[in-house]
Amino acid sequence: MLQRELEAIVGERNVLWRASELLVYENDALPGYRRRPRLAVFPGTRDEVIAVVAALWRAGMPFVPRGAGTGLSGGAVADDIVVLGLQRLKQVLALNAGARTATVEPGVVNATLTKAATPFGLHYAPDPSSQTACTIGGNVAENAGGPHCLKYGVTLNHVLAATVLLPNGEIIALEAPRADRAGYDLMGAFVGSEGCFGVALDVTVRLTPNPEQVVTLLSVFSSLDDAARAVSAVIAEGVLPSAFEMMDNPTIRAVEASIYAAGYPLDAAAVLLTELDGAAAGIAEDVQIVERLSRACGATDVRTATDAADRARLWQGRKKAFGALGRIAPDLVVQDAVVPRTRLAPILAKIAEIGQRLNVRLCNVFHAGDGNLHPCIPYDASDADESARVHAAMKEVMELCIAEGGSITGEHGVGSDKMAYMDRLFATESLDAMCRLRDAFDAERRANPGKVIPSRHCREWMSVRGVEA
Amino acid sequence: MTARAPLPGSELCVHCGFCLQACPTYLALDDENDSPRGRIVLMKALAAGTIADTDPFVGLHLDQCLGCRACETACPAGVPYGQMLEATRERQASVRPTPLVARLVLRVFERPVVLGIVMFGARVLRATRLPWLLAKLPGRIGASMAMLASTRRPGGGRARVALPSSTVPAAGTLTKVATLDGCVMEGLFASTNRATERVLAINGFAVTAAPGQQCCGALHVHAGDADAARALARVNIAAFEQSGAALIAVNSAGCGAMLKEYGHLLKDDAAWRERATLFSKRVKDVTELLADVGPRAVTPSADAPRVTYDAPCHLLHAQRIADAPLRVLRATGATLIPLPDAEQCCGSAGLYSLVEPSLSLRVLSPKLAHIANTGAQVVATGNPGCLMHIGAGLVRSGAHAVARHPVELLDDAYAAERTS
Repeated sequence: MLQRELEAIVGERNVLWRASELLVYENDALPGYRRRPRLAVFPGTRDEVIAVVAALWRAGMPFVPRGAGTGLSGGAVADDIVVLGLQRLKQVLALNAGARTATVEPGVVNATLTKAATPFGLHYAPDPSSQTACTIGGNVAENAGGPHCLKYGVTLNHVLAATVLLPNGEIIALEAPRADRAGYDLMGAFVGSEGCFGVALDVTVRLTPNPEQVVTLLSVFSSLDDAARAVSAVIAEGVLPSAFEMMDNPTIRAVEASIYAAGYPLDAAAVLLTELDGAAAGIAEDVQIVERLSRACGATDVRTATDAADRARLWQGRKKAFGALGRIAPDLVVQDAVVPRTRLAPILAKIAEIGQRLNVRLCNVFHAGDGNLHPCIPYDASDADESARVHAAMKEVMELCIAEGGSITGEHGVGSDKMAYMDRLFATESLDAMCRLRDAFDAERRANPGKVIPSRHCREWMSVRGVEA
Repeated sequence: MTARAPLPGSELCVHCGFCLQACPTYLALDDENDSPRGRIVLMKALAAGTIADTDPFVGLHLDQCLGCRACETACPAGVPYGQMLEATRERQASVRPTPLVARLVLRVFERPVVLGIVMFGARVLRATRLPWLLAKLPGRIGASMAMLASTRRPGGGRARVALPSSTVPAAGTLTKVATLDGCVMEGLFASTNRATERVLAINGFAVTAAPGQQCCGALHVHAGDADAARALARVNIAAFEQSGAALIAVNSAGCGAMLKEYGHLLKDDAAWRERATLFSKRVKDVTELLADVGPRAVTPSADAPRVTYDAPCHLLHAQRIADAPLRVLRATGATLIPLPDAEQCCGSAGLYSLVEPSLSLRVLSPKLAHIANTGAQVVATGNPGCLMHIGAGLVRSGAHAVARHPVELLDDAYAAERTS
């Protein structure tokens, strides 16, 4: 019996099978998708992961890798299969300050890695808003972004190597391409594979030196349109902020009501949070450009963070915005789409129109600098009519983004939530090609089956309900 | 099982998971059932009746919660976790028996005469060498003895001493303040209570007693015995009203957090609701009062002790007081060394260290390591549970550092200034 076999490997306490204890593992941070796993297993060492995956392979049992469950696309939910929780693997295995690299286990929390690097004047650059909770393994699976990816690049640009355990038990060493390396970039294929190719046993990442100087500006606007135009104007001028974030009025109000109140003006239609960093020389000029262009586009106020504490406060408000929206309604859908930055202003206007027409509470908090939108709708899932309107609105928003030449995910992944849009974005041939790539890693569809690619394209894993747990 | 009323506050949680790394038991156990997000899911299911109140595993995960409320200061949605936990424990108490050791303590704390006898016995025991000899024993006995040993202060100082005549009240103050004695504070930390009175007086407060006060009821609420807590709350409200004090000074963070929540505790009691709300508004942590007026600082001396500060959860997370204790410590002239993860629970959590000894010690262990790394001679923290739990950990590990209340250190500094 699989449960007993897993218990023999990881100990009884680390295999959950009771319905009550599996409840919290029914969804990730996207409350709309709930699936009951059959079992959850939490290996504590690399060897235990290898033994657990081997046991699952022998039993013909598919699994869903999970870190902190902070994903926003329903990617880490398991429908009557096994949750493979990697949160216990949380050792920083090596930190080489000279080479500016760290090798970590997959369960190491993003912010914990930066904390470990801080004494050396280094940090881990990708900073998703969930960085105080999310794990590096999950970041690699989703190719996570974050505000500072505008300048520093996404997870893919910071992963140097990984040891990957394939579902059939094979262990492969992947390395990021270098000038002196021949062959295909399989590291690039693995980063962002949403747990469908296997699990990382360790990941080696690049650490980034802390900038000599950081300036954070808060610009206040009386219309979303003005704020969007300011974003385009600044980038067009050739200034590259390290982060360029926008929040609209409903989001501002939710944040200001929370413990993370950052001092954003409650009557602002939108605020822009702009960060400039780098060598001390030259920053002042960029700050002036941002301020001048913001005012030219209609900013009613532009202020600079006074010190590190003030800067942290401004950022905390932005980073905790999703959670803060929880105070508006019991449920929340957070979407993730990318549009051409130059089209931000008209697209935001159209999104607002969709929200009004369908009578849903659309809120915007997003990475404006790279056109990565996060329309959010707080709602009450127990209200069937409202739920239907929310899903209709999200569908229209996604279709709008696709029609404008955008993409359906910037950093949250496709997971369960956005599979339905894959057909609109990709031709059948492209989806088939993706399935063939997956075959190279997991031909039996044992890792996170039923996600990312709609099943009519992939020869998907068939029900394992007959398998004895 | 029938559908029941939803748990107030639970609708705020959107499952974002930002609370996970703030939770000491998630960090120790790595299972989301032992995280705030997981426990909220369990509490919601219990309230909805979809899982049974008698489910022993659900009970275990809820029992393992320290109640430190660090999740509340991490939660962007403002989920009132502490209130939800107390409401759940109150309901659970009727179907799942409270552990014997907890019941025993609760009954003793409700009876002033019995409490007095128990505390007297503890002090007699403390006057011998026994607690030091037995402190290294494993299990509850060793832990309790180490706790007792850590409470010993040179000089004792039980009597209510006259205030130094040289006291010069700060201009324009002399607000009448009544002090909460506190069961453990008056029983085992009487010298800290006297220090509190002296320090308040030196800083221009008119300190008065509030006879008739009893246990604050915090331990009862945490154990799910809200009715006993309500009875105690009524006694205390009446006693402090009688004292005629404008403010109530508390030097025990756990008790202070409870007194500040009397308004919530008695919200369904029409006769007491308003009195309780007014009472709660008058409650201040002693460091809060001192920070408001300064406090009067002593000149740092060359041999100032190296002090590090650990935040009691019920001060930082429940009362949201972060800076006041640091201002008090700066006034002592001590060299302050920051303590990494000072906002993390030490594992004391009221009766928790007695009811869940092994997990409690697992939570304490990184704290002791951080304290050792600071090289501090003194760990300052303003709550008797934390003073004893950290103090016991220091005694048992043979560390040189001691745990002291911030106000105790300020009193020492004033005394040293007077004699020099």
